[in-house]
Amino acid sequence: MSTAVGVDVSVTPETFTLVNYDAGEIAEIAANLWQRIGLPEGRSLRLEIDETTPLGRANIVSVDPPVLALESGALEDSHRPRCLSRPGSEDVIGRLLFKLGDRIDPAFGEPPDDDDIPLTVSSAWDVYAVGRLSRLGFPNQRQRRLYQFRVRHGFADQVDAVFNQLWNAEDLTWTGLLELSERATNGS
Amino acid sequence: MRKSFPVEDLARDDRFVRVPITERMQDGRQVPREAQGSRRNGGRLTPDRPDAPDAARLLMHGIFVGEVQALEGAGRTCWDFDTTGGGTVGNTSAPEVPFQLKLDMARQCWDEARHTEISCKLSAHMGTELGEFAEATFLYEAACNPDPVLRLTGVNRALEGLAIDVFNTMREFGQICGDPVLEFCEDWMLADEVTHVKMGSDWLRRLTEKDPERRERALEFQRVVDQLFSLGGFRGEEDDSPVRLARRFRELAGFETSEIDELADIARDARAQAEDMSRQNREAAAQQVPT
Repeated sequence: MSTAVGVDVSVTPETFTLVNYDAGEIAEIAANLWQRIGLPEGRSLRLEIDETTPLGRANIVSVDPPVLALESGALEDSHRPRCLSRPGSEDVIGRLLFKLGDRIDPAFGEPPDDDDIPLTVSSAWDVYAVGRLSRLGFPNQRQRRLYQFRVRHGFADQVDAVFNQLWNAEDLTWTGLLELSERATNGS
Repeated sequence: MRKSFPVEDLARDDRFVRVPITERMQDGRQVPREAQGSRRNGGRLTPDRPDAPDAARLLMHGIFVGEVQALEGAGRTCWDFDTTGGGTVGNTSAPEVPFQLKLDMARQCWDEARHTEISCKLSAHMGTELGEFAEATFLYEAACNPDPVLRLTGVNRALEGLAIDVFNTMREFGQICGDPVLEFCEDWMLADEVTHVKMGSDWLRRLTEKDPERRERALEFQRVVDQLFSLGGFRGEEDDSPVRLARRFRELAGFETSEIDELADIARDARAQAEDMSRQNREAAAQQVPT
């Protein structure tokens, strides 16, 4: 358990056997991000890590109470198998926490559950989240996100233009995000 | 310049990190794909996989380091063997090779150098930094055999054969995504790989024409390398194999249908072995859980 101003973070499992992860370090990363992003105080965040798979899926399974589910590969150092990557963890958890913040914010609207969001829209939301994370000073892989966005929307100039809008945006709504994703796909 | 260059001495700058294959095989997390139970468990590299862009980036980086090692391997084959015989590779006397074979290897070096440059640019296009992922060196290790026939069989038929399968997979991925850069580059590199495999098939036949025992040793070496390169079922003919055997291109490269069938069997065995090892690793890890 790690406590920063405004959030208590718990990580399961508390002890890892298949990977060399430290639950305390993961909790500390999440608590720091929570504070930097400016999420509401007085919450308890739970991170459920599935260490049985090296894959890297990560999503929000509950907004209230906030729960993130991550496969162990999502936090792994690409140079050191089974070891935690701090910048990689900040990237993944930070992206999820920005999206969690959007879900908590009534002005954003009501997106469906993660699993019900099409890959096109999901990638647009990722760009919006990671763009904001980069402006907080966390390392980002802008070209990687552009490639992901292009794979989902197409390789065309209007797609890149929408990507730039999403990356630089600060106050989108769910409806606005859907419109931008649609515009990238159809060019209108 | 010395003959026979050990893998440990390959030149790399500090961006590159090597992870031994044994390290990966000890990973108890390698659960069978069927058991993963999410919508991503169809392992084939297609855009409808949620992780497809990152899986493609990872594969592209693997192609990049594979090209570097293929260049190093073909370069060594140019140098390690003489046209007059009498040299040594490591502690073993090296058989002579025809000058034309050395020329073919020189041409291959030229191709691999071009592929390396293309792979660098494709990696940048996909948002990958060189060295972002760990490097496995088992490709080069197949290029260290002291017998040129075994080396060519391991490199040009097994390693370059894997390249055919991988490039075809990436070419199809680019095609489906509408990525003209990826599709075009992979298509051109694929054409070169077919030529490289054809070289291996031709030299295997020519150099062992009067030595069936040596040919059998070479084919056995190829089977061993192919099992390794099946990467626990990563390459195979199952529906969920991320990289599929490219039958048509392998036929163009001189593979008999029976050889491709055998390769599919080898890939299935490799997958079964990998899943068995993974199960054992998980059981061992479970016994270490503190109570």
